[in-house]
Amino acid sequence: MNGILATLQRELRAYFFSPLAYVVLCFLLVVNGIVFALILSFLNDPMSPAGRPLDLFFGGTFFFWLVVVFVAPVLTMRLLAEERRSGSIEVLMTAPVTEGQVVAGKYLAALLFYAFLWLPTLAYAGIVAYNSKIDWGVVGAGYLGILLVGALFLSVGTFTSAMTSNQIIAAVMAFAILLGLFAFSLVQYLATASAFKDALAYLSIPQHMEEFAKGVVDTRRLVFYVTSTLFFLFLTSRALEARKWR
Amino acid sequence: MIEAHELTRRYGPATAVDGLSFAVGEHEIVGILGPNGAGKTTTLRMITGFLPPNEGRVSVAGYDLFEEPRRARRQIGYLPENVALYSEMRVEEYLSYRARLEGLDRTAARRAIEESLERCLIADVRHQIIGTLSKGYRQRVGLAQAILHDPRVLVLDEPTVGLDPKQIIAIRALIRELGQERALLLSTHILPEVELICDRVLIIDRGRIVGEGTPEDLRTRLQGATVLRVELKGAPAGADDTLAGLDGVDGVRPHPTEPAKLLVECATGADPREAIFHTAVDQGWVLLGLEEERASLEDVFIRLTTHEAERAATPVSEGFDGEPAEEEALADDDPPEADGSDDTEQEVIQ
Repeated sequence: MNGILATLQRELRAYFFSPLAYVVLCFLLVVNGIVFALILSFLNDPMSPAGRPLDLFFGGTFFFWLVVVFVAPVLTMRLLAEERRSGSIEVLMTAPVTEGQVVAGKYLAALLFYAFLWLPTLAYAGIVAYNSKIDWGVVGAGYLGILLVGALFLSVGTFTSAMTSNQIIAAVMAFAILLGLFAFSLVQYLATASAFKDALAYLSIPQHMEEFAKGVVDTRRLVFYVTSTLFFLFLTSRALEARKWR
Repeated sequence: MIEAHELTRRYGPATAVDGLSFAVGEHEIVGILGPNGAGKTTTLRMITGFLPPNEGRVSVAGYDLFEEPRRARRQIGYLPENVALYSEMRVEEYLSYRARLEGLDRTAARRAIEESLERCLIADVRHQIIGTLSKGYRQRVGLAQAILHDPRVLVLDEPTVGLDPKQIIAIRALIRELGQERALLLSTHILPEVELICDRVLIIDRGRIVGEGTPEDLRTRLQGATVLRVELKGAPAGADDTLAGLDGVDGVRPHPTEPAKLLVECATGADPREAIFHTAVDQGWVLLGLEEERASLEDVFIRLTTHEAERAATPVSEGFDGEPAEEEALADDDPPEADGSDDTEQEVIQ
């Protein structure tokens, strides 16, 4: 536990002390601000269909995915790759901590920072609540969706960061895997066999997010995200152990 | 405190460490000496549990490193070769992070931090960001980190590499002091360092122990006979035979690169310089130069390890640290420090 907490604290500090974090935060705020403004003006048009702004905001637009797919690898690329590049992994792994604890600490720091990045968007919910009625349950489900999707994406990024000592390679690999996961969901529209189609639909991340944004919290989705996140974290800790045998 | 039994480590087809066994007792400072690529770093990494050996066992302070890795690692303080610290952190922050990682509670951590800041003489930079520190200070922060949890075993990989002479003196004094209380294993390729710091030395080459003993043993074993370089104008014929006949001279051979010079091997303890001078005068030779060709410890050491390497005649010849050849790496050793400042260092340390 000590190992996890010490690593978590150090990594969080590293996030808040690095300029990258603020660049990402600004990027996210600008993109989200523009998207939210666009959604509002779209819904204000009497010709447009009825809809709730936050439903559209959470995963309803292409920008949402652009942001998440980009931001996750950028947040995680440093975690383990930098330890390996600088050699600080040697001091780290000779301390009385396990690979699993190090991975858990670093991953949780990334997840917390990711959650922090979304905090300012609560203002949008506030704006909507101030001007009309809002169902906080639905908003909560939307944030849960963001957290779950982020958790999976960050675990993929942590994994690729453990594979290399080059941050750029780690980020690009994570980006490729995430795009792959994402593109996978589009294959269902090409599938003809219904069982295959259903299986793909089960794995379709944009579809999951759409459900969350509508306020539907399906246990199957929770299981999917939690298990796949843990799977990638397990791979990460194995990748870290594999260093010993090269 | 440290027991290593038949350690073997391979990197692909290359064997870095080949059946190494040794032990380090309590309050003992043991130096691992060897050229670059001899397997020093690999050995230390196996002792600290960073790398598992392909074969063999290690136990530290009575705990087997593979059966009780966390217990064993708690007893080890480690300073790796390139002290990699988190450069964005402040010294004190970094130490408190390390203390938590080692599992110290809050009060114990605070005490440990104060103590190691003081011992390593870095209390004045405690609030400074590590990235802005000089190499010497960073090395000391690394040492502070290694002794933070009061380990019974300290492992230091080339602790004085890249430091200026003054810093080297300070670090060596600190190492000696730290070695009074615990088992200390350090690696180096600087021979005088071994003599100054260590109680016992292991010489390794190509992953095997080729020599073991106290520094005094080592010196007598390594130090060859004194050789004089004699330069005679016009290289008179028969000079070599005449000189070889003198008392205190074991043999005479031509200088390998400069034909005008002769190398005169002296018998142990003898100083035939005066005799050579008088002989030259008697023979009517013009003596242009007469100096001691001091085989430095480094030179002898190179001869020893190269010789061993050739005898082994294994295809595995490249250094695995990325160092192309041992000779070159050894030649890099700072000669001024090896010759000139030795005496002063000795004074400071005693």
